[in-house]
Amino acid sequence: MNATGNVCRSEDLGGYVLVVVGGEVDLSWSQQVRDAILAALGRCDGVGVELAQVTYIDSSGIAALVEGFQTARGRGRRFGLVAASRQVLAVLQLARLDKVFPLFADVESARAG
Amino acid sequence: MNAAPLAVAGAGERRALRFLAELSQALAVSLDLRQTLQMAVTRIADFMQAEAASLFLLDHAGLIECRICVGPVDITGLKLAMGQGVVGRCVAENATQIVRDAGKDARVNVRVDAETGFVTRSILCAPLANAHGPFGALEVINRRDGSLFDDADAEILRLAAAPAALAIGNAQLAHGLVQQQRIKRELELARRMQKSMLPRRRRGDFPLFGVNLPAHEISGDFYDFFDLPDGRIGFVVGDVSGKGLDAAFLMVRVASMLRWVGAQAPAPANWLAKVNAELCGTLQDGRFVCAAVGQYDRASGRVRLASAGFPPALLHNAEGFEELPADGPPLGILAEADYGEREFVLGQSALYLFSDGATDVRTGATQRLGEAGLRGLIARHAGLAPEARLRALLGDLKQLHLVDDTTLLLVQEPCGAQSHGLLDLEFPAQAAQMRSVRAALRHVLDAQGVGPELRDRLVLAVDEACTNVIRHAYGGECQRRMALHVAREQDMLSFELRDEAPVVDPAGLQARDLSECRPGGLGLPFIAATMDDWRLEPMADGRGNILRMHKRIDGGEGE
Repeated sequence: MNATGNVCRSEDLGGYVLVVVGGEVDLSWSQQVRDAILAALGRCDGVGVELAQVTYIDSSGIAALVEGFQTARGRGRRFGLVAASRQVLAVLQLARLDKVFPLFADVESARAG
Repeated sequence: MNAAPLAVAGAGERRALRFLAELSQALAVSLDLRQTLQMAVTRIADFMQAEAASLFLLDHAGLIECRICVGPVDITGLKLAMGQGVVGRCVAENATQIVRDAGKDARVNVRVDAETGFVTRSILCAPLANAHGPFGALEVINRRDGSLFDDADAEILRLAAAPAALAIGNAQLAHGLVQQQRIKRELELARRMQKSMLPRRRRGDFPLFGVNLPAHEISGDFYDFFDLPDGRIGFVVGDVSGKGLDAAFLMVRVASMLRWVGAQAPAPANWLAKVNAELCGTLQDGRFVCAAVGQYDRASGRVRLASAGFPPALLHNAEGFEELPADGPPLGILAEADYGEREFVLGQSALYLFSDGATDVRTGATQRLGEAGLRGLIARHAGLAPEARLRALLGDLKQLHLVDDTTLLLVQEPCGAQSHGLLDLEFPAQAAQMRSVRAALRHVLDAQGVGPELRDRLVLAVDEACTNVIRHAYGGECQRRMALHVAREQDMLSFELRDEAPVVDPAGLQARDLSECRPGGLGLPFIAATMDDWRLEPMADGRGNILRMHKRIDGGEGE
């Protein structure tokens, strides 16, 4: 975590990587989120992005998630969003992506799904 | 034995080739076409050992005129009809002509010889042509040694004609471009002059607002308003039939006439009748002018209005629209025409006068916006202050396909629709700035009682607008500034985002379809899905852009 309260860290859960994102995801650092997701997909068959602590996400943040989703599909890997916050869900709905991403309430169901 | 003649022919061919190559080069690099052609004709005459040579060009009237001539007799300016003489036939048939013995050839025009004493013995003439056909000819007359021209000479002249034709074509093209540039400059001047005739926008709470949008450089539409000695305000809006320069000139004349007569504050019906009588005596070619004139008395709130064939005025208030049809025929048609007039209290209503360009706007390939469409647009922006509403209307019309000059004049008391600013921020075009911009905006929206869901969407839309400016208008993060202004007027929130970036073409901005799943291009759809309307305009001085977005909030409770 830094002064802005933004978080992006990857947790290796053994065969599954959980990318934990928090804070306000915007153009100033969404590239970091993108890189973390793509790196996780590069080394693991299953990747989840936890968004419980995301209080804001803009189109560049959504684009990072879409890219992760498409990359995972292209390589036959599992990809899901975990515990997306109210704010994230609102933007996903606005972008009509709420039916596109696999959404999970917690990391256990994401790993099982 | 046989080698000698061949060698001679070879040497002749090489000489001819060198001549043609040099001629082509001289013509290709020509700066002064006339001088170059003069030189070319001289060289052709010398190379071909001709006594005289000349170059003819077709003129606009279809005559073939001698433009350049070398030799003992100057025939420059001589004009021949198509098919007349050797040259006329050469152009008409687009084929090289050889006259081996002029005395016995019916094609030869004997008049020149008769007038000058020159004796024509032998003639060669090759056409000058481009892809569209022949446009002139090159002619050589009489070999200096008295012998006759042969087929080899004809071939050389034909080859020499090609680079000459090319050089003339290029020069005409360049001349055409210069002409076009000049016309463009003059039209721009005319446009500015017309614009300077429109009344200046009044500051403060002045109740008249006008906009004029020419479909091309110049306009046949106009509007005007002016203070009368008795304190009332006179106003005029008009539309000259036809388009183009003559309509624009007539517009200038009619606008002056209406202003001149109107300054005496006559009753609107008499005002129209006077101008009509004057125009009927002078208008030509079936031209006419549609106009509406009136006076507004702010003290009593009364409007007097008369219309000469102008589209029906619209009176709009909370109860709906009232249509005010024309009171007589357009100006300039019937000298004895009688005009009615109407008087009403404006109150809180808005009076719209619009030229038919506003309803002729195309909403599809052939579909007109129509009066119903225009009413819809007016109703949609009803919550805005008069001037902002007029700008919003104009923005909508511009996004549709404008086919005619369009003028809107609005009469409305601006009171009760005061806009007050909520937020003014200025910041460099950097993504890291957005966090505090969003925080400030959330704070303001909370204070206005906007619910959290709408608040978050508005914050997102404004953020997307800002990052679009950073990424696309500025082409990346930089130290250049941008400014956000948020204001509220009754239940309408307005967001204005200004930048100093190169002007962005609003036509290139289209919110993409959200039904396809791909990473980029979400910003505009977010804005379009959240705001009631949005539009991007270049700043008045052409330096930078201004993005205006509006959102109506219900009773301060949000959606």
